Amino acid sequence: MPPRLRCAAPRGLGSAIKPPRVASPSAVLLFPSTTARGAATRTYATAAPLSRVSSFKLPADYVPPTKPPTARPSDTRKSQLLRSYTSLLRSTPLILIFQHNNLTAVEWAAVRRELRLALNSVSTPGTDSAEIAETTQLQVIRTRIFDVALKIVEFHDPSKVAPTTASTVNGEKIQVVYNHDLSKAAYDAVKAATTGDAPLPDSTAYAQLSPLLVGPMAILTLPAVSPAHLAAALSVLCPSPPAFPPPSKKKSPGYHEPIAQSGLQKLMLVGGRIEGTVFDLEGVKWVGGIEGGLDTLRAQLVYMLQSAGLGLTSALEGASKSLWLTMESRRSVLEEQQNSGKENEKKESS
Amino acid sequence: MITRFITDVTTRFNPFSPRAKSARLFLSFLPPSARAQGMNINAQLLPRHSTEPSTLSVKFKDGKEMNLDPETMGIKSIIEEVDRHSRMLQKEADLADA
Repeated sequence: MPPRLRCAAPRGLGSAIKPPRVASPSAVLLFPSTTARGAATRTYATAAPLSRVSSFKLPADYVPPTKPPTARPSDTRKSQLLRSYTSLLRSTPLILIFQHNNLTAVEWAAVRRELRLALNSVSTPGTDSAEIAETTQLQVIRTRIFDVALKIVEFHDPSKVAPTTASTVNGEKIQVVYNHDLSKAAYDAVKAATTGDAPLPDSTAYAQLSPLLVGPMAILTLPAVSPAHLAAALSVLCPSPPAFPPPSKKKSPGYHEPIAQSGLQKLMLVGGRIEGTVFDLEGVKWVGGIEGGLDTLRAQLVYMLQSAGLGLTSALEGASKSLWLTMESRRSVLEEQQNSGKENEKKESS
Repeated sequence: MITRFITDVTTRFNPFSPRAKSARLFLSFLPPSARAQGMNINAQLLPRHSTEPSTLSVKFKDGKEMNLDPETMGIKSIIEEVDRHSRMLQKEADLADA
């Protein structure tokens, strides 16, 4: 590790403004109001650059671009946890929500180990499925912070925040948008949506999920909707024999060890959020039971649409065809009549 | 909460109902070694749209069965009820030991 240079920044700033190397005027000149005591004896090493730096003043409404204004204190662990939860909620299509009742650390380790084994067994190395298995994780969450993050994701639309005016270092006015998750705009949007006596409409995912977020919670996050991986995770974490049988004793002996078993008994799957829709236990099992994954569903849909199109074209064609046929037959009938009439006239004239 | 004298906990609730809160919190109050020490814990989850009320019944070592109503009782009052009986059993156990 390189040594930390404490004075790097002020030196850099001083050299940027090019201070003349003259003998230092004392601090008395700089701060006339504080002359009273000890001014004569004290000399400051930085006095010389400061005399010029004092003319270099940041604008009153200057906001450092790396530290935008926030409604919540940005440097606390809770706020950063909130940010990580919002980004997790925005980026993860499949979240299963568990209640965990006092699992010990060794039990967590055993549960995670068995989960990893099961996920790896359904994925082939070197493909997307291996990546899904690798990035799937079971994590304990802070329930209240997750609740707030869910509100922010649901009610705060960053694209609708109006820009505000701020100054750059040299006093230039620019338009800046502060729409991050800790911003005042996000805070106000959430407050406006959730305060008041009227209960939230059931159409919002937050209103459906918020009763779940009670007590100690853990979430399983999958980076893609992959029913195969979901089924593998379900068979470990919440086995239900016909559809999701627990792994066999021969295949994964660790699963049947008392530590893993007692850990799994304390995990309760209470619900899930899949592609923005909230599902209960049965719904999650239904998604896990989709055989062949999303591709099969897509193929089914394409086949359905194709066959419907075929039927539609034949039906539409049928109408015009029958019309053409009737017209044609009518024409032939008329022609025959005309011919017979002409023949009659010929007979009469002859 | 004194859990030493509880032998059986049976509960069923719909996690999507806000009234299941105290039943769920009661489960989270049971110690990590509860099952290893012979407590039977049976939690049944109801489907999402069921309107069945949530139930919680606790059995003690002396055979007393307590049916608590988590719909109306908060977690504090449930613990208070359970502890009231547990303290009595504890007193008896202490006297027997001495």
